Amino acid sequence: MSAPFSGSLHIVEGKTGRQMACKGCDQPLAPVGKPWKPASTVRERPMEGAGGRAYASASHVVLRRFFCPGCGALLDTETAMAGDPYLNDVIDA
Amino acid sequence: MAVDPITFSIIRHRLYRVVDEAVITLKHVSGSAITNEGHDLMVSLYRADGSLLMGGVGFLHHLTSAAEACKAIIRRFDGRINEGDVFLLNDPYTAALHTSDIYLVAPVHHDGRLVAWSACFVHVYDIGAKNPGGFCPDAEDIYTEGFSSPGVRLVNQGELDQDVLDTLLNMVRSPEMVALDMRSMIACNNVARERMVALIEKYGYDTVDEACGQLIEQSEQLLRSRLRELPNGTWESRQYLEVLDEVYKVNLRMTKQDDKLVFDFTGSSPQSKYSVNCTKWASLGGLFAPLFPLICYDITWNEGCIKPITMIAPEGSIVNCIRPAPVSVATVGAIQSVNNAACTTIGKMLQTSEKYVKEATSVWHANHFAIFKFGRSQRGGESIGIFTETFAGSGGARTYADGVDVGGEIPNPISRMANVETVENNFPIRYLFRRRMQDSGGPGKYRGGTGMEFAVVQHDSPDGGLHYVVSGKGANFPMSEGLAGGYPGAPNSYIWVHNNETTGDGTNIDVRDCLNIEDMPGKKQAVTWGVFPLMDDDALYVRWNGGGGFGDPLDRDAQAVADDVRGSVVSPEAARTVYGVVLTEAGAGTNAGVSVDVDQDATETLRRSMRASRISVAAAE
Repeated sequence: MSAPFSGSLHIVEGKTGRQMACKGCDQPLAPVGKPWKPASTVRERPMEGAGGRAYASASHVVLRRFFCPGCGALLDTETAMAGDPYLNDVIDA
Repeated sequence: MAVDPITFSIIRHRLYRVVDEAVITLKHVSGSAITNEGHDLMVSLYRADGSLLMGGVGFLHHLTSAAEACKAIIRRFDGRINEGDVFLLNDPYTAALHTSDIYLVAPVHHDGRLVAWSACFVHVYDIGAKNPGGFCPDAEDIYTEGFSSPGVRLVNQGELDQDVLDTLLNMVRSPEMVALDMRSMIACNNVARERMVALIEKYGYDTVDEACGQLIEQSEQLLRSRLRELPNGTWESRQYLEVLDEVYKVNLRMTKQDDKLVFDFTGSSPQSKYSVNCTKWASLGGLFAPLFPLICYDITWNEGCIKPITMIAPEGSIVNCIRPAPVSVATVGAIQSVNNAACTTIGKMLQTSEKYVKEATSVWHANHFAIFKFGRSQRGGESIGIFTETFAGSGGARTYADGVDVGGEIPNPISRMANVETVENNFPIRYLFRRRMQDSGGPGKYRGGTGMEFAVVQHDSPDGGLHYVVSGKGANFPMSEGLAGGYPGAPNSYIWVHNNETTGDGTNIDVRDCLNIEDMPGKKQAVTWGVFPLMDDDALYVRWNGGGGFGDPLDRDAQAVADDVRGSVVSPEAARTVYGVVLTEAGAGTNAGVSVDVDQDATETLRRSMRASRISVAAAE
């Protein structure tokens, strides 16, 4: 039994209560009500060229990618400048 | 007493039709491409107190601002509002979004009683700002952004006040075109007023008034009910916009509790010295532009939709600037960033519901480019006009499908661009190419729709060319955010190609023979902000953003990627490096028209390897 959270994450019942988890492999990331991004594998790369040649001028920002540490699925992305905090999406516990 | 359901439904649909007919009138009378081709317009109906009754099509961020315009006129002209009046208001610090979007609002009377208002706007041909066309990158303050009125009577009991109109026309370029803009809006309001009066004549004032009240109550209850179906929580988004060497942020934290939504822009940048700022009324309109179609897609857009919503916009910030900060670029500046930020948080919230997940979308066309060309036309007259390609947009990916290539935008469901031939007929320019931009759609399981690219040169100009005002942003920052792992759409680009140099061997390549930017000779200079020439053999190259993607690009159907490569929408290089799709030998390094196919085994191997490398220790180093 699960409930949706996004296209890449869902909410599952775990041993310690409801958990945010990867939709692909059910890897738990955080209790519902808490940010899940700190538990993911975060990689940053230059936005420049990230999606092909049309991204050539995007020189001022990075593409921040949040991967599932269990299966490597891409869970979310952010356009960010150095030092910007994560954008956190949280539903109430 | 409640109106019976049949009568209620008939009146509701008649109100829709009143707005539709008024829009048609506006377009028929206006002679401006930005109105007729770009559909940079809006018509809506309001209650006697100025509250929104029936939001129409066009740029949706005007629906709430025009309500404020009606209320400002009610306050200013209290006791002096007469049957047949039409009022003009375009002051951004009173209600308007920027000076060139003029509101004409008209009271509707029945038996001598004020019963409703109609309101419309067009982006007028010119407003007398420092730069032609209304968008004013050279503005230092609101005083340099052209004619601005907090409210003036333009039509007095059915009689046009020629002195007022002449005062406006005396301050603008191409006054004959601005006069036509004004008359189109007067005609539009006349039609709306006549149809509203006819509706009341048929059903009686009490019945129509009661139905209108019920309609607002219905919208409020439907929206509150929908919000209660969604989980409580907070969703965040962030937008960057740059002007020259300055970078600004619009931060949004959207909180949903029970049947209420709060949009909090705390943390957004202080107001800018440049004209990308917007006022609080503009920000409010900006967040409603995606809210109406995404959450209220089957609910009548009126005051009832506004009541459950609260906005927090810090005073002195880029989303609530203080007079006399310049705001002429607001609609493609901070307002659009508010549109985008709200689209993202709403999309994230809708993803949490199985019932509403298909309503979620990544950001569409996040980055307008306002480029107004001006100068003498091939027929000798003065011409000013926007490149309406900015309205062509790009669709954001949905949770079940790709975004629509060149699919428009969320804030204006009827936007579109002019044909190349229409532009070439009215301006001394020639298009070298105009087509979908490869790799511009944000990668994802479902790809964002593409933007486009085009290049123009002067052609048959009596002055050897013309000039253009560009208020461009988003060249360094992608703005069409993706969802659930989807990448943002590609950024914009604006290039002035200087083509007056001979090549090293003494031969000139004619820029007119070039079918892409890479082949064009001469120095290429990025231009984003100010006035620039398009003279002699120089060219202007523009490309604009794609929509945001949805989901992990490695989950995209490999055959769909091959289709994209066949159609030149995705490059073979991106197919491999972003989507992890290995194409057959014939396809590698090729483009449109070439038969390509997927090497299934190699693709599975590559994708497996890419997933593993994402979380390997080596990748972190």
